[in-house]
Amino acid sequence: MSQQRSQTSTAYLFLAPFLITTAVFFFYAFGRALYYSFTDFNLFNTPQLIGVKPYADVLNDPSFRRALGNSLVFALVTTTLQTIGALLMAVALNNKIRGMGFFRSAWYMPSITSSVVITLIFLWLFQRRGIANYLITQWQIYQPLVLTFLGVLLALQLGQVLWERARRLPAGWLDPALAAVSALGALAVTALLAWTGVVGAREVPPFDYQYFADKWIEVGGVRVLSVPLLVIIIQNTFTTIPTLMLFFLAGLQNIPGALYEAADIDGATPWQKLTRVTVPMLRPVTFFVVTVGLIGTMQMFDQVAVIGSAAPPDTLVTLAYYVYSNTFKAGAAPVNMASAAAIILALIILAMVFVQRRFFPSEAT
Amino acid sequence: MTAALEQVPAHQTPQARDRWLARRRWARAGWLYAFMLVMSFFFLGPFVTGLLSSLKDNPNEYPPTLNIPQLTPQFIGRAWSLGVQGSGDGWQGGLTPGRQVSFEVSVKSPPGAPQTPPTVALFPYQPVSLVAIARQAQARDYAALKTEEVARSGDTRTYRVTVQSPVLTRQSGQTVRAVLSAPDANLRAQLPGGEVVPVTLDTPEAQAKQYELNEGQAVELVRGAAGYTLRGPLFERTPLQVDVQRGQSIVGSTLPPSDRQNFGRSFAYRNVTPGVLGYSFNNYRRAFNETRDSKSGRSLFFSWVMNSFLYAFLRVAAAVVFCSLAGYALARMTFPGKNLIFLGAVLFVQMVPSQVNLVSNYVLLKDLNLLNIWGLWLSGLVAAGGVFLMKQFFEGMPRELEESAAIDGASTLTTFFRVMLPQAGPALIALAITQFQGAWNDFFWPLVILRENSSFTLTVGLSNFRELYGGQGDYGLILAGAVLSAIPVIILFVVFQRYFVDTGADSAVKG
Repeated sequence: MSQQRSQTSTAYLFLAPFLITTAVFFFYAFGRALYYSFTDFNLFNTPQLIGVKPYADVLNDPSFRRALGNSLVFALVTTTLQTIGALLMAVALNNKIRGMGFFRSAWYMPSITSSVVITLIFLWLFQRRGIANYLITQWQIYQPLVLTFLGVLLALQLGQVLWERARRLPAGWLDPALAAVSALGALAVTALLAWTGVVGAREVPPFDYQYFADKWIEVGGVRVLSVPLLVIIIQNTFTTIPTLMLFFLAGLQNIPGALYEAADIDGATPWQKLTRVTVPMLRPVTFFVVTVGLIGTMQMFDQVAVIGSAAPPDTLVTLAYYVYSNTFKAGAAPVNMASAAAIILALIILAMVFVQRRFFPSEAT
Repeated sequence: MTAALEQVPAHQTPQARDRWLARRRWARAGWLYAFMLVMSFFFLGPFVTGLLSSLKDNPNEYPPTLNIPQLTPQFIGRAWSLGVQGSGDGWQGGLTPGRQVSFEVSVKSPPGAPQTPPTVALFPYQPVSLVAIARQAQARDYAALKTEEVARSGDTRTYRVTVQSPVLTRQSGQTVRAVLSAPDANLRAQLPGGEVVPVTLDTPEAQAKQYELNEGQAVELVRGAAGYTLRGPLFERTPLQVDVQRGQSIVGSTLPPSDRQNFGRSFAYRNVTPGVLGYSFNNYRRAFNETRDSKSGRSLFFSWVMNSFLYAFLRVAAAVVFCSLAGYALARMTFPGKNLIFLGAVLFVQMVPSQVNLVSNYVLLKDLNLLNIWGLWLSGLVAAGGVFLMKQFFEGMPRELEESAAIDGASTLTTFFRVMLPQAGPALIALAITQFQGAWNDFFWPLVILRENSSFTLTVGLSNFRELYGGQGDYGLILAGAVLSAIPVIILFVVFQRYFVDTGADSAVKG
């Protein structure tokens, strides 16, 4: 019994630094934020309780509603894109070929560098006269050649597959060997056509799109997604895919090979194997990835803060940034509203996690 | 695709069937490699283009090209030799008193066009710094220029432009480098050893310049019989401009121009005495040199790097000690409240966004006078994620280790420090590097807590760069800063790849 007691005290001794900092900088802070959210605190006065008025103010603030809309759209779109992208890349990477280690580590690069660095690079890429617009211009210039190549590729592939089938060989529509031949053929035909001058590059003015401006994608007159936020979605997907891909890879390696062998015996196509074996078997990992993705994307802050004044405020404001900017507003800051918004953000995230765990239980989370 | 095996018609010979399958395997691998290469371009492309463009004179050039003179051996060699001519230092370059630099320009003048030599001039260069710093001496106000024709072939003539930096003293003796100190009745300079000495201006030329020289100006002095005399200021750059007449065109020069204007008749060379660092890594040098604190004169960028390292080091040290202690207690000890602590202090903490605690922690640290690196460190002393990682690790270790230690009569503390912790090497490395990466890349809390621009960490400083230079489109500086700040984590990644890949959970939650 005394040994048990001594173990308890040792355990609490071991845990002390962790518990003390967590208590001070998390639970005390959390409680105080909750308290501030019912007061008229503005960083300089003594807080007075004023009930739920800050919550009402926040909900009536058009900027908050925009932030809420932006955050939700960003979280949903980004989580979807990054989950699907990571899954597909993991499936591709799960092949055992030489040099896989190199590719894995090369692709991991966006995940280790800071979001500030990547945002700065993306700001530079997406300038009016930046690399992104340059690539779009190049695409427009060489569109005839690319389309010719694709058209010939398709025709050759079709012809070859039909020919092989006529010879009673079991060629699939996407047969890689035939596609390689088709690609070479299409390349030759396109080169020939370009050389004879039948098709060629076009003259187009430089594509001059301003990404960080007050531009919106509207659905039925409702502003759903702003173009600057779209750029951040691209950037964020780029950043997170490699990490999430690793989770899927770990999950893929746990799928018993016997399942695929059984599917092979039943004559399943690669697509059927993906949708009937891989995806269901990865369900626990997928839910983990989605949860982590939602928590992360709902808190998106760095990118908005770095871009700051370079884009109109409404296009980028997210809940996290709303909290930050209201806390450090010049003059008397509406800190009570910031706290209320932060509590609402926390509730949304907790609700999302709860829904995930309640309705999609899995052993991975 | 073993399914295909069954479907191959019986009349095919086994050899033909094997060939068919082999061909297919090869093709599949080929497509896979093609896909991987495309994805590599996608994932590495932004970094590589950013890195290459950060070396360019103008990273915004349109259309962008991959033909970068800063990476061409020939021009790097010339930058070295111009640096040697200008200051005797092929790396840093610059122009020092008494030195002479020759720079060649070829001008094509067709028969109908004017046959005059080009107009050459030095132009001033003032850094656009984070805070206004005192004007530095400009090569334009001191150096003399001379142009002479040295060669002619067809209608192209080559002119040699000679930049001669004067010596302001008649004394001779040992030359020393120094920095002018705060102005008073007399001119004074601080020697590298820290000694402050009075400076004599012994010639009319030198006296004419005395009111143009500011505090912080790097100069060369002569130590002679009459004490220290001013030999002349040191110039970091020698910006040169060359203009030709209508009808003429510039067809070549020792270094390619930084800017072309006026339909290719006006060329500007930002620095004709660059040295290798000043040529290929100009933007990187600028990031350090042109961001000075107005009070201390120290490089802000350098301070940010140091702050980031300090913060990362503190975070790693605290995590290694405290997270392993807490993780071990949660994994291996039985005590009341264990589950509650795990759920509340580890899992819940990770789910609540840090913005909730913003106001409260800010007010608390402000009241404690800790709005600095130490406050930042204290508020994130023990990372819940780190505790989770160590708990998982200790749970996977064999119990026999502790049991045998207990039989030998070791106390819990001894068992932990002598038996368990030494076994935890791999987990501790993983913890250390994820904490380093997390601290190095941390942005939200440093932005909230650090209020002085000399105490920023690199991420906050870089976002400040964006505010200050983004509007002017000075992406050379921004990209150079971004690349520099990415280097430590990339090195860490290359060395410890395995551990990054094992514990990706932390960075997945980044915004």
